[in-house]
Order: sequence, then C-alpha cells, then structure tokens
Amino acid sequence: MVASRETYGTEFETQDLLLNVGPQHPSTHGVFRMVLQVDGEVVKDVIPHIGYLHRGAEKLCETMDFRQGIGFMDRTEYLAAFNAELSYVMAVEALADIEVPERAQWIRMILCELNRLSSHFMFMGAFGIDVGVFATPFIYAWKEREQILDLFEEVAGDRMMYAYFRPGGLAWDVPHNFKARVREVLKSTRIGINDFDGLLTKDEIFRTRTQGVGVISAEEAIEWGMSGPSIRASGVPMDVRKDEPYLFYDQIDFNVASRTEGDVYARYSCRMEEMWESVRIIEQCLEKMPDYGPIMPEKMPRMLRTPPGEVYIRTEAPRGEYGIYMVSQGGNRPYRLKVRSACLSNLQALKDMSVNQYVADAIIVLGSIDIVLSEVDR
Amino acid sequence: MAVTPDIAPVATTDAPDIPSTPDVVEPATIPLVEPTIPVVPGEHPNEAPRLTPVELVPGKALYKQALPGVMQVPLDLVLAASRKSSLWPMTFGLACCAIEMIGTYMAHYDLDRFGIVPWPSPRQSDVMIVAGTVTKKMAPAVKLLYEQMPNPKWVISMGACATNGGPYTRYDRVLQGVDKVIPVDVYVPGCPPRPEALIDSFIALQEIIMEERKTTGA
Amino acid sequence: MTSDQTDSSTPVEAPDDLSGTIWSEVDRALSGVTVRPERGVIDLIVHIPADEVIGGLRRLKTDETLDFNYLRCLTAVDLEADGMDVVYHLYSTNKKHNLTVKARLGNDNLRLDTATTVWKAANWLERETAEMFGIRFNGHPDPRTLLMPEDMTDTFPLRKSHPLQEIEILQGEGMGYPEEGE
Repeated sequence: MVASRETYGTEFETQDLLLNVGPQHPSTHGVFRMVLQVDGEVVKDVIPHIGYLHRGAEKLCETMDFRQGIGFMDRTEYLAAFNAELSYVMAVEALADIEVPERAQWIRMILCELNRLSSHFMFMGAFGIDVGVFATPFIYAWKEREQILDLFEEVAGDRMMYAYFRPGGLAWDVPHNFKARVREVLKSTRIGINDFDGLLTKDEIFRTRTQGVGVISAEEAIEWGMSGPSIRASGVPMDVRKDEPYLFYDQIDFNVASRTEGDVYARYSCRMEEMWESVRIIEQCLEKMPDYGPIMPEKMPRMLRTPPGEVYIRTEAPRGEYGIYMVSQGGNRPYRLKVRSACLSNLQALKDMSVNQYVADAIIVLGSIDIVLSEVDR
Repeated sequence: MAVTPDIAPVATTDAPDIPSTPDVVEPATIPLVEPTIPVVPGEHPNEAPRLTPVELVPGKALYKQALPGVMQVPLDLVLAASRKSSLWPMTFGLACCAIEMIGTYMAHYDLDRFGIVPWPSPRQSDVMIVAGTVTKKMAPAVKLLYEQMPNPKWVISMGACATNGGPYTRYDRVLQGVDKVIPVDVYVPGCPPRPEALIDSFIALQEIIMEERKTTGA
Repeated sequence: MTSDQTDSSTPVEAPDDLSGTIWSEVDRALSGVTVRPERGVIDLIVHIPADEVIGGLRRLKTDETLDFNYLRCLTAVDLEADGMDVVYHLYSTNKKHNLTVKARLGNDNLRLDTATTVWKAANWLERETAEMFGIRFNGHPDPRTLLMPEDMTDTFPLRKSHPLQEIEILQGEGMGYPEEGE
C-alpha cells in the first residue's frame, strides 16, 4: 500500500522534497548521483546524473596500438575484464581476418565464464548490502571470489586487470595443471553458490522486500534497449550467446535463465540461475578442450595492421550486451572505437522502474540493475 | 610502656607499642605518639599496621612505590598510539581501485585486525582513501568531503590514477592526481595496488602518526 | 570478406555481393528513400541521407518482416574533411537480424532530427553523441550534458581536432624533456 494524498486529504499544504543521493553514498555502486523528488516517502521522479568517472577511454584508444588498447578495455569493465577484452580482440580479429586456434577459443570461453561467476558473486554481495543484510553475504561472496581471483592470478598474472587476450589468441599458455585447478575451484564454488541460495533466496524478509518492486514490462525493456539479466527477467529471452553464437557456444548445451515478472526478485534469481549455468558450461568446456595445441596462429606480424573497414561485435558480458564498434582506416590503431555499454542502456530505464515506490525501493532497484560506473561513463 | 620519642621521618618498621587494653579505657592514659607523617588516629587497636605509612626508598619514584600497577607515559604517545590503532576510513571508492580496497576489508586480507573499520560518513572518519580516478566533475565533491572530515585527518591516495592521473593522464577531463585539490599523506602505486600494498600503506601511515606526534599538537 | 571504404572520394564503387543479406526486404521497406547498400564485415550497412534518415528508421521499425524494434547503439564517427557520420545499429528481437544505418552530415550543418520518437533508447545515446561531437539533435526532450561537467561544454572531446594533452604540460616541471643546449 502506498500512502498518497488521497488517504489524508488535501488539508495539508505539502511540498515535494529534492533528495540528493550520491555521488558518495554507501549504497551506490561507484560515483553515481541521483536526485529523487519525494513526496513524503514516495518517489515521484528520479533524475540520474552520471559522468563522474568519464575518463576518455574511447579517445585514448584512438592513439593506442591494437595491443595497447586491451588494457583500457580491462579498466572499462573492471569486474568482468575478460569479457571486455574478448569483444575488443574479436573486433580486431574480424577486421584483420585472423583465425584463432581451437585451444585458445576454449580457454577464452572458460575464463570468460569464470569471470561471469566472479562478477555475479560481487553482485550478490553488493545487492545484499543494498537490501540491508549488511556484511554477511558480502564476506561469503568475497571468499568465493578470492578463489577465482587466485586462479586468474596463476593464469594471467593479475587479479583484476589481466591484459591476457591478444588478437589471434592468448598472450601465453595456461599452466600445465589448469584443468585440475579449474575443477578444484568449481568444487568450492558450487558449495558457495549453495550457501548463497540458502542465505537469501528463500528468506521471507528478502522476498517481501524484493517481490513486486521495480517492475518493468517486456515492451518497455525493449524500447529502452536493456540487455542482460535485467531484460531476461522481464520475459525476453535475449542472450547473445544463443542468438549469435561466438567462440564455441553453439557446441555447448546450456539454458538461458529467464523469468516473467520483471521485478527485483526476478533479476536476482536470473543471476543466481546464470551462475549454475556457468558452472555447467565450464564443466562441458573442460571435457572438450584439447590438452595440447597452439594458442596463437603461425604467422602473426609484429605490427598488426588491419585493412580499412568497420565492425560491430557484441558479446554477452555479465551485465548485458557489451558491444565494440570499431572503425579502422588501415594502420595499426583504430580510427574510432565506440564501446556500447550495457549499463548505460539499462540505467536509462531507472526512472520507469522506481517511480511511485518508496525511497528504500529505489535503492534496491538501482542495486538490481547491477551497474559498474566505469562502463557507464567510460 | 616506653615509647621512643624520636622517630625518624622514614623508616621505622616498629609499630608503636600497643598499650594493653583494660576493661575501661581512659583516653588520657594512652600516650599519644606524635608522628612526623600525619596518620589518621585509629579507633581500633588492630589498625596500626594498616595505618603505618609506606616505607619509601629514596631515589625511586613516589607513585611507583605507593601505587604499583600504574604506568606513566607521555600524553602525546598515548594519543598517537590510540589514533593509529583505530583509523576509520571513509568509504570513498571511485573506480577499479575500490574493488581492491573492498577486497582488503574482507576476510582474506583482513583490515579489521588493525582496527580499521570502513565508515560511510565523513563526519566520523579519520582517513580518506581516494581509490580511483578523480575527474574534474568529481573534484568539488572530493574537496567538500575532505572539508567535512574533522581533525585529525589523513589522506591515502591509492592507485596510479589518484597519484598523478594514471593511464588516463592525457585526457583533459581527468584531474592529474588528487593532490591538486587536497593534501595527501601516503601514495600507493599500482594499477590496482594489491591488497598487501594497501596494508603496507596503512602501516606506513601508522608510522607517520607516531613520528609526527612530536611536531604537531596532540 | 572485404568491405569498401566508406569514403565518397572513390568515384566508382564496385557493387558488393549482397546475396545472403536482408537487402531485398530492406529495399522494399525503404522504397522512396534514397538508399545505398554496402556489405560490411558482419552486417549489412545502409547509407541514407540525413534529412530522410528518421523516416527511414521509423519504416524499418514498423515493417512486419523486418521488425527492428531494438536500437543497439547510436554513435558518430568524425571523418575530418568529409563531415561526420551518425551510425545506428538496429536489431530485431523476434527475427534476430541486424542492420547498420549511416547518415552523413556535412561539417557546416551538424544538425539532425532526434530518434527518440522512434525508440526511447536513443535518449541518452544522443545526449552523449551531442556533447562529444557537437551535433545538435532537433527535438530532443532533454538536451543536457551527460558525461561532461555542466560548465565545460565549449569543446568537443571526440572530434579529431581536439588534441590530447601533452604530458609535460599536465605534470609540470620534472617531466619535460631536456632543453636543447642544456
């Protein structure tokens, strides 16, 4: 029940309050500022202000070589850096018509899905904080995330900013015990996902808080250009991995997690189901991955040049569709690089989702879209 | 009873002789002893050992003999030690370094064992960890938050972007280092710095706090 | 697959092989609109003049066989002397096909009608393109800056004429190269 002017009549002369949330606020995910126009406790209007982290990655990549630009793509989406690198590297390969060896593709798939797992763990923790469970899910989530980050450090050398993919394959080969290590990590990850399921999914308070809140319909979501788990929770089973398969996703058997309600609880449970699907995908990849083989094609030039042309490559990042639009006019650097960020398009629909709800609901709606500000602002 | 009239100011362990108590005690018959250290006149005859003054050894501090178990330290040492052991940083994560900062607070690289508890409000925090790139749009907010923190306050500039712009150093909408708007105490290099580097920076900040207690006001 | 250069300086372009793409349906839907196709690396690219592009986009959205109900991306490319290209990437969630639409603007007339009348998703994308390139979208419901601070709207960072800063200027003394004769 939403209290409104009708319940207490118009004897009181009231005025709407402009409440400023951010840019520094414990529950916004980065420097994001929104101005809420509230009538009592009910939100009437949301005006988001972004741009506090605009760092000019697109402009700087125009001066960078094709290999130097990979580091910038990491920092654009820091929680799912492998997926960001993958889009960029696939764009260069499409322009220059480079064939990637099979083993490198399988390793890329495994690393991207592990990155999806670690990003969703971070979402679970941060979403728990938004809903009000202050620290327990966060610490559980980070315990699992640290296992995955340890594996990434063994493979790529860094915990977050990998710069491991190269146009044509990988920078260096994985360690010899890679498959055993991944299986070890998956064993503890399954227990971790189970713990989370038990902690939050069936909790009565959590359900009351999140069901029916922040609803967006399928038509509205398509109009706004949303993607990822946020649109799959509204009943549109749009997944780049199934619609336009890249890497070897057409040889793997997995389901697309989708719900119909379109509320915050649906987005949360979509992501939970996606974590289980990622575990399945990684297991199948481990079966099919060849043990030996090249990871870069035979003749890679020292200075990579691409013929003139343009391409738009899209991949499924944990937050939605991460697209790279690259225009090249010959030469060894992109002429124009545009990052199509999923979070920017998802964030446009924030106003439609949080109007006529309470202030606390607006916070969890923002948390459920799962934004990463450096992708919104680039 | 014979009582020695000349009692030295320190030293006698002999209790003054207790007169035997007849059934009726006349106060006038009990000889009064004039002590050199004022002693509360007792009412019960067994109070004498309790009322004897302490045997004081010359050359040792008075309070250590009279009150064993009490430590005397300089006040600035106490203040500096308590400040460094309970630094509460304001959660001010801007970009990718914020994720490593959060990872340092978590159970794997625990910062709580140093007394460091993240606190969202600037009014009750001691340290501001600027973790991430500061853009020119964000710089007024950084200054405002710094001014809202009460003294004593310190600033740790975490990562390459907060130090001097980092990888984005050629873009003109990025502030080339947060020390252009606020004073910084510790710089942590890295992109992003590992959690161990952040712990190292806190230890360096603790050493700074102990060092500067002599020069700045406590 | 090769693609032609999107440069109007080539007088005669070899016709691309457009079989296997959706060009025939697009041609039928956009009848009456001057349209020039091109085969891109992955998608089909269609060039429409700037004054007809919004009508063309609306027809592409409402046509039943094409049904482009999803705007993936809206951006611009600065081709220095030849003007600017505004690029739209379209997708159909039901039919699962893609299309790229390009409109060329001359450097002296950087104005275009807004696409928010066709898809709501163009809202923020056009705000960002406008402040990065200096293109004005007529009829936009909310023409504020998106990523720039409000008081820094006089320069357009993504234009090729806007330089990146030199490190010596930014970092002050100590970072410069040694002077001649020192």
